[in-house]
Amino acid sequence: MATFELYRRSTIGMCLTETLDEMVSNGILSPELAIQVLVQFDKSMTEALDSQVKSKVTIKGHLHTYRFCDNVWTFIVQDAMFKYDDIQENVGQVKIVACDSKLLTQ
Amino acid sequence: MATSTTSSVYIQVIEDVINKVREEFINNGGPGEGVLNELQGLWELKMMQAGAVVGPIDRSAVAKSMAPGAASNTVHDLNVPYEGPDEYETPTADLLFPPTPMQTPMQTPLPVQTPLPVMAPTPLPGTMENSYNIPTGGGTPITPSDYSSINENGNGASDKAGRPSPYMQAPSPWMNQRPPLDVNVAYVEGREDVDRGAANQPTTQDFFLLSAGKRKRDELSTQYRPGGYIPQQDGAADETVDKLEIGQGSHPQPGHGLKLTSRIPQLDGPIPDPYDDALSTPNIYNYQGVVSEDYNVANTPAPPELQAQTPALINQNDVLDDDEDEPLNENDDDDDLDDVDQGEELNTHHLVLAQFDKVTRAKSRWRCTLKDGIMHINNKDVLFNKATGEFDF
Repeated sequence: MATFELYRRSTIGMCLTETLDEMVSNGILSPELAIQVLVQFDKSMTEALDSQVKSKVTIKGHLHTYRFCDNVWTFIVQDAMFKYDDIQENVGQVKIVACDSKLLTQ
Repeated sequence: MATSTTSSVYIQVIEDVINKVREEFINNGGPGEGVLNELQGLWELKMMQAGAVVGPIDRSAVAKSMAPGAASNTVHDLNVPYEGPDEYETPTADLLFPPTPMQTPMQTPLPVQTPLPVMAPTPLPGTMENSYNIPTGGGTPITPSDYSSINENGNGASDKAGRPSPYMQAPSPWMNQRPPLDVNVAYVEGREDVDRGAANQPTTQDFFLLSAGKRKRDELSTQYRPGGYIPQQDGAADETVDKLEIGQGSHPQPGHGLKLTSRIPQLDGPIPDPYDDALSTPNIYNYQGVVSEDYNVANTPAPPELQAQTPALINQNDVLDDDEDEPLNENDDDDDLDDVDQGEELNTHHLVLAQFDKVTRAKSRWRCTLKDGIMHINNKDVLFNKATGEFDF
């Protein structure tokens, strides 16, 4: 199963990466095993988002930058407004990074 | 911060990852389940520290209760002091500077009603002063003690700065005169005081005692420090000029003169000094010792215990020390930048990670449909199954 390393940049992924870094640098974990853990995280996170999350979000704002490179869209949206679950959040600038979902199903 | 659903999904992901890599850890000469448990504990600890998981984790009772349980306690301990001083510091600094209008007519027992004077919604400064100046008059002696404890924990330094206490070595008048407007300056003062304080002094000296050359620097620094704070702001050149004059005045002792002269180039850059000293005096080893100590200080910026107690203060202390020890400035700048970057990533950087199904554009109107995303906005993690974006370019 193909996975994205995209989610490693999320909070949970960063926390895992930091943990693995510490343990590898302390010598209690081999780098190979750490990479295996990260790959497993990619899978588990993708599955969890696919199966357990049902919420829907709408985003509006001013598109400051768009970029499509290596099948990854990157948007920088200014004055963005997020709506979900009757909650509205406003953000001065947000970066959206999105991989092609079709790559996973292939 | 995270919504409860986000938190629960995160916990399940952690659990899933741990379960699925367990085999790798146990078999094939892996490091064993203990390391796996440590991995999970550290991971969850970091998640709680980041606020992405709302601890304590229920499932912690199942197996790895040790790590998550301790972690949740630690998290609470960490969070409270971080916010506490920040909340207290600004108001107290403001409240403590008007101690001059102490003779306000607010001698009423009103302040006694509020056990935490700082938390009172915008009380008059005079009221605050009275609240802990009249512990005997008030019916409850709790108020002053509470207040003092707060000050001890949060910003005893600024308190001392406001009203000179016997702990102050040099209750210089400029402390009171300094306007409370500049919060940064107030911070620095507090740190300077803490640094001066008896608590931190011994540790610093322990570090410095490593070589004999440092003692001279200590003497110099103690000369500088009490009144030396002002020249430091103006620029180190002033100090050195004074010193140089003194040294040249006492010509019969060339060693002292050279020592002081050496100090000037040391601030400008350490390289020329050793040569001068080598040419003239055998004291070169002392000076080199000083230089190398500076680097040692750079390598070990602060004792870990101190960092654990008051990280913000320690950072500032480092900055101050490095301002004195010129060669370290570059490193400090880097550290500061790193800290800023981390802070942005963790707190202020808003990010959406997702997969896109479709991205279309009609003139300047962009539409995109995303799925399976993780958003980190306004310090909250939000997961979504689908998202639509409409942007004007």
